Amino acid sequence: MSVSANDSAKVSVRGFLAKYSVLIAFAAIVIFFAIASPTFLTPANLFNVLVNNVVMLAIVALGLTIVISSGGIDLSVGVSVDMASMIFVMLLAAGYSGVVGVAGGLGAALIVGILNAILITRLNISPFLATLGVLFIGQSTQQLATSGGQPIYLTSGYAADQFNAIARTALLGIPTPVVVLIVLAVAVHLLLHRSVFGRYVQAMGAQPGVAWYSGIRVPRELSMVHVLCALLAGVTGILLSATVKSYVPLSGNAFLLDAIGATFIGTTLSHERKPSVIGTLLGVLLLAIVKNGLLLVGWNFYWQQVGIGVLVFLVLAASFGLRRAAH
Amino acid sequence: MQTAKRDIAVSMTGISKRFGPVRALEDANLEIARGSILGLVGQNGAGKSTIIKVLAGIIKPDSGSIVINGETVASLTPASVEKLGVHFIHQDRLLVPTATVGEAVFLGHEIGLGPFVSRRAMERKAAELLKRFFGMELPAGTLVKDLTTAQQKVVQITRALAQKASVLVLDEPTAALVKREVDSLFEVLRRLRDDGIAVVFISHYMQEIEKLCDRVTVMRNGTDVGTVDPRQTPIDGIIAMMIARDVGEMFPKRAVTLGAPVLEVGNLRLGGSFENIGFNVRAGEIVGLTGLLGSGAKEIVQCLFGLKTAEGGQVKVEGRQLSLSTPVKAVRDGIAMLPEDRRAHGVALGLSVRENISLASLRRYSRTGMVSRSSENQAVDGLIKELSIKTPHRDALVRELSGGNQQKVAIAKWLSCQSRVYVLDEPTVAVDVGAKVEIYNLLNRLAGEGAAILLLSSDLLELVGVCDRVLVVYRGRLAGSFSGPSMNSDALLAASSGARSNADGVAA
Repeated sequence: MSVSANDSAKVSVRGFLAKYSVLIAFAAIVIFFAIASPTFLTPANLFNVLVNNVVMLAIVALGLTIVISSGGIDLSVGVSVDMASMIFVMLLAAGYSGVVGVAGGLGAALIVGILNAILITRLNISPFLATLGVLFIGQSTQQLATSGGQPIYLTSGYAADQFNAIARTALLGIPTPVVVLIVLAVAVHLLLHRSVFGRYVQAMGAQPGVAWYSGIRVPRELSMVHVLCALLAGVTGILLSATVKSYVPLSGNAFLLDAIGATFIGTTLSHERKPSVIGTLLGVLLLAIVKNGLLLVGWNFYWQQVGIGVLVFLVLAASFGLRRAAH
Repeated sequence: MQTAKRDIAVSMTGISKRFGPVRALEDANLEIARGSILGLVGQNGAGKSTIIKVLAGIIKPDSGSIVINGETVASLTPASVEKLGVHFIHQDRLLVPTATVGEAVFLGHEIGLGPFVSRRAMERKAAELLKRFFGMELPAGTLVKDLTTAQQKVVQITRALAQKASVLVLDEPTAALVKREVDSLFEVLRRLRDDGIAVVFISHYMQEIEKLCDRVTVMRNGTDVGTVDPRQTPIDGIIAMMIARDVGEMFPKRAVTLGAPVLEVGNLRLGGSFENIGFNVRAGEIVGLTGLLGSGAKEIVQCLFGLKTAEGGQVKVEGRQLSLSTPVKAVRDGIAMLPEDRRAHGVALGLSVRENISLASLRRYSRTGMVSRSSENQAVDGLIKELSIKTPHRDALVRELSGGNQQKVAIAKWLSCQSRVYVLDEPTVAVDVGAKVEIYNLLNRLAGEGAAILLLSSDLLELVGVCDRVLVVYRGRLAGSFSGPSMNSDALLAASSGARSNADGVAA
């Protein structure tokens, strides 16, 4: 339905606000914390945010971006993180080399992904319930494997130290974990937005029936989606263990809700509310900065969660409400 | 117009409405008489839904006057128009699925005491009304979701009647109904007419208009181009008024020399659905397939595309034997399918025109798994132009296109694949006349280029107009093959209902 010229000017302003509500929120929050806390904008703090709050969450969120694009969900990303972390640490503690550790860790995540894929595409269980089941199984498995949830520490050993060192080095002035994130983000971006596979994922997400009627091998593509998501979560698991030199059971679950939140904050960038890699990265940055900023201005951990909840509401409500008004 | 003696319930005169540069209505008139069923027809965009929305108080007209029951009404809102006794039955059912029949009938006008509603009283009253108006014994405690679509329509009508409707406007009420349900709905509407209610019936189905309506108002380009008696003006005449051209042009004839058989089906069988089905479709040939609901015709088409797996028999495309177990294989073997449910299976409304068109043929526009946007754009632009798909640009969402153009996008998807066999399942359902003609032209062109086309349709006029040959399925078997002079809608109807068979004789 068309409107008069005056109205349409108003509409486009609202449309602009709706589209860029994440960016506007982002800018506003950065300015706020920059004023509220003298340490916020220091290079040391920003480095800390990036390496400790952004990279690992972002890699998990990249995987979820693929899954959510396909119209599904993966509630078991925390399990993939933990399984990779557990096997990686166990192998290193047993004296194996780093290469074996990484391969083993990714292999463990791969198994979680394949299990999800089988449940969803062979047994036709909905992604929500299938991955919820895997979440339960994965949590218990960790507790069984660690006599009720005892952490495993990497006290010494050549490979462990080497990894910890790598996690703290920089390539061309960029911290290595950030380099890993950039490489993965570019790869997932190309995969999701430029490749044939990505098109199939988008089609399955938009209308699964159309994908099937177009001759797309829906079960195969969907399996790939879940395997990729689990593998990306596995990378985070390995980075996590390399950074903290230990495996703490059930620590992966902390990523799940933040990653889902970040992905959905990112969907506000798109008119059709489709997830995108750029949107997800922005969502992760937003969450990380709010957490860090609230910490710096002295809010305690529990209030941080409240702050994040309110932020998610505000960004989504602004985007939805303004967009509705724009129509 | 003979306004003088008839009892006019609603009279809309000189209604105009612009949306920006678009004239949706231009001096349009609509007159609704009591005790009469008025058909309202026109192509999509002709203005019929806009004028109905004006009457419903959803759209404010720029000019014109509306008189309801003798009173000139200055401005209408959806609530005030209901108070005046004008009710609308919209196309999409607007009933709460988990409500009971009683609750649905009295939704918004609940019976009860203060804040408490008496479900039992509403159910008793609803059952009474259903019995009184329609002689229908429907337990009013039944949940809406357990009703058939036809029963839901009846419940919606009952809701209007419970609020003393004097004018009832039905927008495409038969779109989701099967034949038997349509008949009983018509029965209901006729009874209402005889009780003095003014009924407006909007439909794309000309046979229904002819059967039901006392008068038909035809709209074109935002205005009413005439009101006729459908018992005196034949369907062709009404369609000619709608499209402002001759109906002969609706089914463009073509001269094609048929080539070798492209699709060969032999002894195909699916338990409980059909058996012993064998036929060929040659290059350049359009073969129709029809049958009543449950005859097995639909299942034959589903088996050809691998949506159901045939239990026996063989299918060959260009001499190659196919193993049709999934659509994946069917597509790879050069079979294209235009499904009946366009929104669920044909086009993804949330994707762009470009993404939809290239979806089944992405491999052709890609290298090492990455899509080459330039070659994709080039192919998509070519197809948009070739099929004259009306879209603002290639990246517009398919949701924003009209039904006919969405269907063209679904066809373009297969053109992009260069499929050899096209299986079409009711391709012109819910598509307006103008777009139908374009789809027929397209089928002709595909056939002209040597494709084999199998058209499943229950529109007998369409089959006779478009096909070289029509196969009729009756109770899971081929009951006849009709071509040339023997191919007419009477013969097809007779064969579908088992009354007559084998005009040309069936090979098997």
